[in-house]
Amino acid sequence: MKMQKTNRKASQFGRILSRLCQNKAAVFGMVILLVLLFCSIFAGVIAPYDYAAQDLASRFQGPSLSHFFGTDNLGRDIFSRVIYGARISLIVGLSSVCLAAFLGIILGALSGYYGNVCDNIIMRAMDILLAIPNLLLAISIAATLGNGIGNLILAIGIGSAPGYARIVRASILSLKDQEFIEATRSVGGNDFQIIFHHILPNCLAPIIVQMTLGVATAILSTASLSFIGLGIAPPTPEWGSMLSAGRQFIRDAWYVVTFPGLAIMITIFGLNMFGDGLRDALDPKLKN
Amino acid sequence: MKALLQVEHLKKYFKTPKGTLHAVDDVSFSINQGEILGVVGESGCGKSTLGRTILHLTEATAGKIIFDDEDITVVKGRHLKELRRQMQMIFQDPYASLDPRKSVRETVEEPLNLYHLYPNRVERAAYVDKLMDTVGLTQRMGTCYPHELDGGRRQRAGIARALALNPRFIVCDEPVSALDVSIQAQILNLMQDLQEERGLTYLFITHDLSVVKHLATHILVMYLGHVVEYAQADELFENPLHPYTQALLSAVPVADIHAQRNRILLQGELSSPIDPKPGCRFAVRCLQSKETCFGNSPILREVRPEHFVSCGSCV
Amino acid sequence: MEHLLEVHDLTIHFFLKSGTVKAVNDVSFSLGAGETLGLVGETGAGKTTTALGIMGLVQCPPGKVLDGEILFNGKNLRTMDSKELRTIRGNQISMIFQDPMTSLNPIDTIGDQIAEVIRLHSDASSEEIRKKAEEMLELVGIDKTRYCDYPHQFSGGMKQRVVIAIALACNPKLLIADEPTTALDVTIQAQVLDLMNDLKKKFNTSMILITHDLGVVAEVCDKVAIMYSGEIVESGSLEQVFDHPLHPYTQGLFSSIPSLTRKVHRLTPIKGMMPDPICLPEGCKFAERCPKASPACSQTPPVYEIEPAHCVRCTLYKTDAEEKSK
Repeated sequence: MKMQKTNRKASQFGRILSRLCQNKAAVFGMVILLVLLFCSIFAGVIAPYDYAAQDLASRFQGPSLSHFFGTDNLGRDIFSRVIYGARISLIVGLSSVCLAAFLGIILGALSGYYGNVCDNIIMRAMDILLAIPNLLLAISIAATLGNGIGNLILAIGIGSAPGYARIVRASILSLKDQEFIEATRSVGGNDFQIIFHHILPNCLAPIIVQMTLGVATAILSTASLSFIGLGIAPPTPEWGSMLSAGRQFIRDAWYVVTFPGLAIMITIFGLNMFGDGLRDALDPKLKN
Repeated sequence: MKALLQVEHLKKYFKTPKGTLHAVDDVSFSINQGEILGVVGESGCGKSTLGRTILHLTEATAGKIIFDDEDITVVKGRHLKELRRQMQMIFQDPYASLDPRKSVRETVEEPLNLYHLYPNRVERAAYVDKLMDTVGLTQRMGTCYPHELDGGRRQRAGIARALALNPRFIVCDEPVSALDVSIQAQILNLMQDLQEERGLTYLFITHDLSVVKHLATHILVMYLGHVVEYAQADELFENPLHPYTQALLSAVPVADIHAQRNRILLQGELSSPIDPKPGCRFAVRCLQSKETCFGNSPILREVRPEHFVSCGSCV
Repeated sequence: MEHLLEVHDLTIHFFLKSGTVKAVNDVSFSLGAGETLGLVGETGAGKTTTALGIMGLVQCPPGKVLDGEILFNGKNLRTMDSKELRTIRGNQISMIFQDPMTSLNPIDTIGDQIAEVIRLHSDASSEEIRKKAEEMLELVGIDKTRYCDYPHQFSGGMKQRVVIAIALACNPKLLIADEPTTALDVTIQAQVLDLMNDLKKKFNTSMILITHDLGVVAEVCDKVAIMYSGEIVESGSLEQVFDHPLHPYTQGLFSSIPSLTRKVHRLTPIKGMMPDPICLPEGCKFAERCPKASPACSQTPPVYEIEPAHCVRCTLYKTDAEEKSK
C-alpha cells in the first residue's frame, strides 16, 4: 500500500519532469542552474587559484591558457573569482527567496483566509513595501543594517516578500470557498489544518515558479547592491562588486568587467527560461 | 419515534452591499431517527443554506437547532468538533468536494486522523478498506487522484468520507445532480442501502422531485427561504395543496408519453430575496393569489393530518 | 420523400497525444421539415460532437471528420467551402448551446446581439434590423424596452430566451439545441420548453434536441435517437422507442430513472460505466454492461430495422430482422 502511494506521487513528479524536458529552453535553463550549483559546491576543486591570491606582477593580463579570463588590477585570477562568485550568488539567491517565500506565505495565508481587518492591515503594509522600488528598499535596509551576507539576504528577502504574499492570498481566495475545503471543515478540520494541508499544497505551483524567477532577481539585486558598495565586502568575490571595481578599467582591460557581466547575464537568462518552463510544466490545464 | 433533529424558526440572513439577503427565513421542522426528509425547491429557495446552517458550516442568524434533545444552536470548539462526528455532509459537486492533491485513500482517512481514531496503522488501513468496499470502490482506486476518476466514483469517495466517523445524521446536498442518469441510479441505491443497513437519518436536498419521491419519507417544499408545504412523501404527491407545489409537480418532465399532465405554467420570475417585502413571496407568480396575499405573510398550518401548508388563498 | 437533413455514416475522431478519441462512429439519421429529433445520451456519448459536426464547427486539429455525408436540403455540407458554410450558419441552421450564462457576450446589449445575426445574413437597413430584433424579443416574451439591457441584468431563464431569439432571428429551417434547459430550474424549464414548442409550430422549424433527460424528450420530440459511445444504438418515433424500447441500453435507461408516476422500491441501474473513448472495445460497445450479452456481441452489430423506421443496433434482433426480410 505504501509503495503504491510513493509510486503514484513519483509518477506525478515524473510527468512534470518529462513535460519540462520537452521544453528546450527550460532544459537550457536547468543546465545553467546545474552548472552554477556545481561551481558553488566544487569551487575549491575547479578554481585553479585562490580567489584572494594577489600576484601584482601579473596584473591586467588578458585571457590566456594560464588565466582563462585574465587577471584583474590586483593580479587575481578572474576565472577563479567568477567561480567562487557563483557560490555567493547562489547562497544569497536561494536564501533570500526562501526568506521571502516564508514571510510571504504566512502573511498571504493569514490575509486571504481571515479577510476583513487582518487582510486590510497586511495588504496595506504589502502595498507600502511594493510602492517603494525594490532596489531602493533593499538599499535602505542594507544601509541601515550594514554590510555582510546576512543583512543582504534580509534586505532582498523582505523586499520580495509582498510578491509571494499576493500570490498566496489570491490562491487562498479562490480556494477558500471550494467544496473540498467545506468538506474538511465538516469532518472536523480546524483552520490551521485546512490552510497547511489543503490550501497551501494547492497553490504550490505559482509559488515555485515565483521562487525560481525570484532567484534570478535576487542575484541581480545582489550584484546591484554590491555594485554601489553595499552588500558583499571585498575581497570576497561577488559578480556585482567585480563589475563595480572593474568599471574604471573597462577601456584598457575589458576582460575585468566582461566576464563577471557575462556570468550575471547567462545566469539570469537561464533561470528565467527555467522558471517559464516550470510554470508551463506545472500548469494543470496542460495535464493531458 | 424519537425526533433526532428539530429545527425551530431558523433564520439565516446574509449582509450584501445591496441589502440583507433572507436566505432561510423562519423554517421549522423535525426529523425522526431513521427517516429521510427531502428538502425540495428551486435555486434561491435556501435549501443548501439550510443544510449548511444545521451543520454549522455557517452560523445561524436566529432560531434553534436541537439535535438529540440537545440545543446545538451555538456550539464552538471541542463541543462542535465532537458534534461533527455525528453529523456529516455529502456534497453536490463530486469534482470540487475532493482535494485534487490528495488520493482517495488520503481523503477518506483524513477524518480518522483529525479525530485520532484507529492510531494503529494496520487497523486504520483495514477500516478504510472496509469503508471503500462498502461504497463500491476497489482497493486500486484508493491510490487514484480525483481527476483520474469519473463523477460516480468521486461521489462514492465523498460518501466514504462522510461515513468514516460513523455519523447518525447526514445532510445530502444534491448528491446525484451532477451525475449521469445511469450512475445516479447506482448512487441512489447505495444511499438507500446504507440508510437501511445503518439506520441513518438523511436530510436530502434536491431540486429533482422524482428522486425525492423515490427515497424520502417526508418532504419539505421551500420557496425563497420559506417553507410552503410539508407532508409525508406519498401524501404530498397525491394531494399537493400549495400552488407552488402543484406547479412544481406539473412542471417536471416525465418519461411517459401516455401520462396525462395538467400543466400549470407559472408567469414571471423569482422575486428578490434581498430585503423582501411582507406578504407571501410567491403571490407575484401565483395563479390563485388574492389581494390579501400581498399584504399578509402566510403561516404554516396543519391542514390535513400531518400535512402542513403555508398559504393564504388555498386554505 | 426528401428529408430536410440526412446524415449518413458520420465519423468524427479526435487525434490527441494520449490516443485517438473515437467520438462519433457511423452515425446516420434523418429529419423532415417541422420534425423534432431527440438525440439522447449520457456524457461522452458524442451528441454534442455530432451537432458540431453538422455545423462544421469541429475543431480541426485535433478533431477530424473522417467520413460521412451531411445532406441539408439535398446539398452536402461537407463539400462546401467555409464561405458557403458561413452563409448557412445562423441563417438556415442555428445552434443553441448548453450554458446560457456563457453563450452571450457580456459586453454587448442583448438587442445588439440579436441584431448582429440579422445583419450578417441580410441587407436590410439599421432601422429595419432593429425593428426585427425587437419583434424577436417580444416573440420570446421579453419586453422590447429591454433592448439596451446587458446579459448580466437577466436571470438564467431570460438569458436562454435571448439565446433562442438569436437562434431564430433569421428563421432557420433547422435548429440544433444542445441541452437548452439543463441549467434551468424546473418551472423555468417548463416555460422555455413551452416557448420552444410554440415557436416551432409557428415557424415550422425542424429541431434536433440534444438531451440526457427522457422526460424532456417525451414533451417535445417526434423522433428519438439513443446514442451510446459514439454510435446510435436505437432510433425510431417517440411512441416506438418509449412504448417498445428494444436496445438493452434504452431499456436500462428507462428502468434506472426514478419516476414521478410509478412507485418503485429500488431502482435498477445499469452496472458499470461507459467505456473510455480512447480505447473502445471491439464489437458491441455496450456488451460489458449488458445483462443480455452473448459471444455474438464480439462483432459490431449492424443496424436492424425491426418496424418501419424503428431501428436498433443489437445482435439480439438479428433473427427478427432476417425473418422480416424473408
